[in-house]
Amino acid sequence: MTPPAPHETHQGSPLHPTLFGRLLSGFLAGALLLGLTSCERESRVDKATKEKILLLGNGAEPKALDPHIVSSVGDSNILRSLFEGLVAYHPKNDMLHEPGVAERWESNEDFSEWRFFLRNDARWSNGDPVTAHDFVYSYNRILHPEMAAPYASMLYFLKNGEAFNRGEIDDFSQVGVKAVNDFELVCTLERPAPYFPDVVKHTTWLPIHGPTIEKFGKMTDTYTEWQKPGNHVSNGAFRLTDWRINAYVKVRKNPHYWDVKNVKPNGINFYPIDNTFTEEKAFRNGLLHYTYVLPNNLISAYEKSGDPRLRKETYNGSYFFRCNVNEAPTNNVDFRRALAYAINQETIVNFVTRGGQQPAYGFTPPSEAGYHPPDMIRHDPDVAREFLTKAGYESGADVPEFTIMINTSESHKDIAVAIQDMWKKTLGIEKVKIENQEWKVFQQTVQDIEYQVSRAGWIGDYVDPNTFLSMWLSGDSNNQTGWSNPDYDRLMKESASISDPAERYAKLVAAETILLSEVPVLPVYWYTRVYLLHPDVKNWHPLLLDNHPYKHIDLVRDESEETPE
Amino acid sequence: MDLAPPRDGKTIEKGTSLGRDAWYRLQKNHLAMASLWFFIFIVVVCFLLPLFPFVPNPNITHPDLQSMPALSSATSMEGAEVFYLLGSDHLGRDIFARILYGGRVSLAVGFLATAVSLSIGVIYGALSGYVGGRLDAAMMRVVDILYALPFMIIVIILTTYFGNQLWLLFVCIGAVEWLTMSRIVRGQVISLKNQEFVEAARSLGLGQSRIIFRHLIPNTVGPVIVYTTLTVPAVMRLEAILSFLGLGVQPPDASWGSLIKEGADRMASDPGLLIYPAIVFGLTLFSLNFLGDGLRDALDPKSSKD
Repeated sequence: MTPPAPHETHQGSPLHPTLFGRLLSGFLAGALLLGLTSCERESRVDKATKEKILLLGNGAEPKALDPHIVSSVGDSNILRSLFEGLVAYHPKNDMLHEPGVAERWESNEDFSEWRFFLRNDARWSNGDPVTAHDFVYSYNRILHPEMAAPYASMLYFLKNGEAFNRGEIDDFSQVGVKAVNDFELVCTLERPAPYFPDVVKHTTWLPIHGPTIEKFGKMTDTYTEWQKPGNHVSNGAFRLTDWRINAYVKVRKNPHYWDVKNVKPNGINFYPIDNTFTEEKAFRNGLLHYTYVLPNNLISAYEKSGDPRLRKETYNGSYFFRCNVNEAPTNNVDFRRALAYAINQETIVNFVTRGGQQPAYGFTPPSEAGYHPPDMIRHDPDVAREFLTKAGYESGADVPEFTIMINTSESHKDIAVAIQDMWKKTLGIEKVKIENQEWKVFQQTVQDIEYQVSRAGWIGDYVDPNTFLSMWLSGDSNNQTGWSNPDYDRLMKESASISDPAERYAKLVAAETILLSEVPVLPVYWYTRVYLLHPDVKNWHPLLLDNHPYKHIDLVRDESEETPE
Repeated sequence: MDLAPPRDGKTIEKGTSLGRDAWYRLQKNHLAMASLWFFIFIVVVCFLLPLFPFVPNPNITHPDLQSMPALSSATSMEGAEVFYLLGSDHLGRDIFARILYGGRVSLAVGFLATAVSLSIGVIYGALSGYVGGRLDAAMMRVVDILYALPFMIIVIILTTYFGNQLWLLFVCIGAVEWLTMSRIVRGQVISLKNQEFVEAARSLGLGQSRIIFRHLIPNTVGPVIVYTTLTVPAVMRLEAILSFLGLGVQPPDASWGSLIKEGADRMASDPGLLIYPAIVFGLTLFSLNFLGDGLRDALDPKSSKD
């Protein structure tokens, strides 16, 4: 559903009249004409490069443009352009920090209290100053029980944040965040976190403009009119100018932004294209600077031609299936184990995804700052069959029907079909259905745990295994499987108070071992980012978390460009 | 009284039935006959060929044997010997088998949905036309209202409400396609109901339902058959559109529509995935349309004269 191409076409061409006549040659002329004009005509990308508008494919239609509601990568891409947190992402390295609204920050000795000193010249897109109170207001909003924010657990770092979110405390002033004055913010943490500046870069820690929220409803109202273009107020390098459902989200340079003279692009258009093939065609036809993903079966073609536009990068993420542990048949731990061991991760990676992904034998990707996940779930048909017998099924034919839920995408479908067939071949399970849902609906289904098995992906929010393991704590809003284990919770809690990395990792490995032995999740692979990037886009560096700060990205016509076809 | 001219110069032995006449006329239409045989062939192949063991399971994947060319055989890494008549898709599934099984779904949808629309449409139209008056007006306004509802939106609402199930597809399509049928039958019945044979039946004391079902409906059979043959391809096209939008059959099962969609996505790297199912689907639709045209000419001697 890409918007139509620009209208300026060069009508007529020397080839046109000579080849008219018979039907076949008419077709031929049409094809030639099309090819010719598309070469001559200035493509949308060329025009956008001139105007310094970045055209990005962005997967699915955003659920919301409110940092307290969203939880998907595509949505946070848009929010990252609109809002700026205390600390900003570095354009080259995710382990480094860029000052955002905070000019500088410091912590006490054991990293449990952090002070952020805000710049005086930060402004909202309506001209209001950005103050420490705005941050306190935002954190109050996302943690408020009535908000039921899906990602509130990111703020459990704050002292009493979890208790307030669960409604055990009514008084927000007991939560560990204070505005000392307009430009100084103090965060007191539940437990020491040396990586805290990494955490506050995340979407959930972005500030929102209180008066705007309350102009259109209560603080805790979700999906009010404030998200509409014209009403939306943000503090980032860009502001929302246009949003058409299933067509685009347009953001343009925010004139009130404190660093506006260093913002390179004049604007960004985000296109929600969930069909990866359509997206690739759009890129090839000069409609996009960047594709969100690249379909599996085209990777090898691009590789063979040595196309410089193909990018393949390590990405801090894990692809897995969630199991609903409260519903038959996946409530049986042995049955889940049978499913997990019957998945041949290597086959998936080598033949289905084909993007250089790594087969996942554990949950946390190994790229996490020296952390090595336990190597547990290795494909083994015999073990899988043993567990199936243990689960009380004589053969796979006795397994009651269950459904794999996926969100609409060709690659998720292919993976689901391949895994369904592996279960059939290895375990003899006949009755596995695959059902796809549109992304917004799918997220809700998973959040409500109304599935048996569902496809999932988790991208690290910061570079630490904690971002992968804390979601499996009992009742975490991103757990979404119903799984809970007191030993796991205890180990995770204990790990938090350890400052020695090796010792802490040992605890985390022990916790992950519990997770993998009870398999509420079936690991499949660890991500790589495979996408296409137009050569006009400069300053776009490979990032482990893929959170590109858009203000640094420049658009310059690449003269060496000889588009390889 | 010389209504039917004597055949081959002999004296009148017995009258030929309407059906026999139509059959003779149809046989003279070579395009329609070829279409008929082709269609029977497709149905037989789709429904009977998969019963033989040499047609592989369409959902078995061989991920290491993807995008194999037509007429190739190979051994998968699991040690299975496979032969691909029309090549394999991106998961190593046999395209030929998928086309056959997809044909079963598409043809079944075509026939069942048509049967649903046929039974609703004929009964509704006959009743409306025969009773006439206010009831007729009311019933036809209902049809008008249903006509005005956008089909796609109804189907999307129903699928979100009941989940994505195949029987729903039959019902949805059937429930929408009967509208035109009911109008056709109503028109026929109105023109027939004042003719002498109905009056005769009535004067013999036959009941209303007997008159409708024994005397009126059999007389509408010509236009009904013609319209049915045109409904089947329309329904198959609808199913293809729905599958194309991801609302029809669910993976890994396929219909011709979903196969063509998958193929269209991959046509740059794997043209066979699009071409083979598209050819089969296209030819089937053509044959049904030609057959429908031929039947119209055969069953309605008036229209063949202009």
